[in-house]
Amino acid sequence: MTTRLQVRNLTRQHPGQQAPALDGLHLEVDAGGCLAVLGPSGSGKSTALRLIAGLDTPTGGTVLLDGADMTDVPAEKRGIAMVFQRPLLFPHLSVIDNVAFAGRAAGLSRSASRAASRRYLDLVQLGGYADRAVADISGGQAQRVALARSLAAEPKVLLLDEPFSALDSALRSDMYALLRTIRDELNPTIVLVTHDQSEAAVVADAIAVLIGGVLEHHSDVRTAYLRPSTVAVHRLMGGLNEIPGTIVAGVHHSELGSVVLPADDDPRDGPATLVIRQEMLRLVPVTAATLTGVVTALQPAGIRQRACVRVGTTSVFVELAPHVTVAPGAQVGLELPTEALHAVRAGP
Amino acid sequence: MSAPLIRAALGRALRVALVLWFVVPLVPILLWAFANRWPFPDLLPQQWGLDGVRSGLAAGAPRAFVVSATLGLAVAAIATPAGALAARALDSGRVPLPRLTEAVLFAPLILPAFAVALGLDVLVLRARAPSPVAVVAVLVVAAIPYTTYLMRVAFGAYDSGYEDEARTLGASRATVLIRVQIPLLAPALSGAAFLAFLVGWSDYVVTLLIGGGRVVSVPILVGSFAAGTGNSAVVAALSLAAVVPPLILLIVVARAGRRTGTRT
Repeated sequence: MTTRLQVRNLTRQHPGQQAPALDGLHLEVDAGGCLAVLGPSGSGKSTALRLIAGLDTPTGGTVLLDGADMTDVPAEKRGIAMVFQRPLLFPHLSVIDNVAFAGRAAGLSRSASRAASRRYLDLVQLGGYADRAVADISGGQAQRVALARSLAAEPKVLLLDEPFSALDSALRSDMYALLRTIRDELNPTIVLVTHDQSEAAVVADAIAVLIGGVLEHHSDVRTAYLRPSTVAVHRLMGGLNEIPGTIVAGVHHSELGSVVLPADDDPRDGPATLVIRQEMLRLVPVTAATLTGVVTALQPAGIRQRACVRVGTTSVFVELAPHVTVAPGAQVGLELPTEALHAVRAGP
Repeated sequence: MSAPLIRAALGRALRVALVLWFVVPLVPILLWAFANRWPFPDLLPQQWGLDGVRSGLAAGAPRAFVVSATLGLAVAAIATPAGALAARALDSGRVPLPRLTEAVLFAPLILPAFAVALGLDVLVLRARAPSPVAVVAVLVVAAIPYTTYLMRVAFGAYDSGYEDEARTLGASRATVLIRVQIPLLAPALSGAAFLAFLVGWSDYVVTLLIGGGRVVSVPILVGSFAAGTGNSAVVAALSLAAVVPPLILLIVVARAGRRTGTRT
C-alpha cells in the first residue's frame, strides 16, 4: 500500500484566469510518509490535490508514483483515494455498502466486498454501525466511514482534503489519533491538505506551504516552525515576531541589538527579517548583559499568557510558561536562544 | 371569536373547498360509469349497470389502453434520458449559446400544441415515417421540455463531488453512472419519466393529427365517443379507467422517492 509520490512542476491555469491556480509545484512524499500541504484559502492546496488524484487535468507538469508517470492515467486507475472535507457518503447505500463501494467497483460480489470492508470499518471503530443508514450516523462517524471507505480501496496514496475541518476540537483529536492508528497498521502514503498549522504539526512528518499557488516552503515540521523560508510562511505557521534589520558577517543588527545567527543560517549579508518563535523566548531577570524591555500587554492564550514586550519601538511577543506571571509595566529581560533565531531575506 | 381561531377556521374551510374542487368533478363521472340510464333532471341514475363498460370493451378499449400505455412508455423511455442529458449539459455551462438553446428546448411548452403538431406533421409526412413512430417522435418533442426542466432543477441540487469520490475509489464512468448518478437522481428521474408518460398517455391533438386515425389511443377513443350523443356512460367508464394506470405509476414514483435517502 506504500508508494513514493513525486510531483514535478505541476501547474494549473484555470480558463479565463490570468494567474495560475498552481504554479510549478514540486513535491516528494516518501513511501509511508505523511505530508501536510498548508496554505490560506485560495492558495491552490485543493487544486494540487485534485490534480494529483486525476480529477482535474494539469496545464503542465507530472505526477509520479514509484517513478511511473500517472499524469495521463484516469483518476479511477491511479490507485489514489481521496477523502474530502464533506464525507460525501452515498445516501442510497448503508454504512457497510459505502465502505464496500471500491470492492463493488472492482467487480467483487456484494458479499465478498462487504466481507473485505469489515476490517476497515473495525479499524475506524465503527464495526457495530455496518447496517445503519448513513443518515443515522453523526458527522464525526460519517467522516470515519469516509476514511474507511477510502482505505478499503487499498490506495497507493491517500489524499485528505481538509477532512477534519468541519469537526469540533474533541472529534478532531479523535481523528488525529485514528490517523496515527491507520499509519501504524497500514502505513499508507498520505497527503493532507489543511489550513491549520497545528493540525499539520500533529499529523504530518513534513510540511509544504503553498501561498498564491506557489510552493514557498517544504521541510520537516520542526524546520517549518523554526526556519520558515519566507515571512509569509512564518506567519502561516503562527509566528508572531518579525524584526527588520540587516545581516553583516552572520550577525543580525536591529533594534534588538546584534544577535549572532545560528551557523546553519544563510550567511549572506544584506537586509533580512529576524523571525523568532514566541514559544522559544523566555523572560529572565534584568541584568546588564540581558536585552531589556517593558511588558506593555498580556494576552490570554489558554493556560498560558502571551506577553507583549516593548524593546525600543519594536514589540516582541513571548509565550509564558504556565507558572510564570508578570504584570503590565514590569521591566523584564529577554533571553533569545540561538536555535530560535532565523533570518529571512526579502529577495531570493 | 379570536383572530387565531378565525384564521384556523378559514384555513380549514379553504382546505375543504380545495378538496371539493378536485373531487366534485369526478363524482358525476363515477356515477355515469355505472349508470345505464340517468335522465335530466334526476339527481341520481335511474338504472345502474355496466352498459358503458361493455360498450367500451366492444369498441376496442383494451387495444386502446395497450396503444396508450405503449405511447406513454416509449415517450418516457426516450424523453427521460434525453431530458437528463440536456439538463446535465445546460447545468455544466458547457453549452454554447445557453439561453438560445434553452429557448429552443422549451419552445414546445410555449407554442400551442396544435401549432407544434401541425408544423411537425409536414416534416413527418415528407420523411414518410410510419404513424406510430411519428407520433412517438412528436410526443417526445412535447415531453422533453418537462423532463429537461425537472432534471435541470435536480442537477441544480446535485453534488458532483459524489462522482469525484466514486472515481477515486476506482469506479469507471459506467460504474459511476449506474451506482452513483442514477440512484442519486432516481426521484427526479422517476418524476420526469412520470411526466413524460403522462404526455404520451393523455395526448389527443398530436395522436389525432400525426397518427391520422391509425393510432387509436384511449383519448382518441374517448374523443370519438364524446363527439356523439348518448355516450355519456361509455365516456365516463373509459375516462375512469384511464385514470388508473397513471395513478398506479404515481404511487410507484412516490414510493421510489421515499426510498431514496434511506439505505438499500
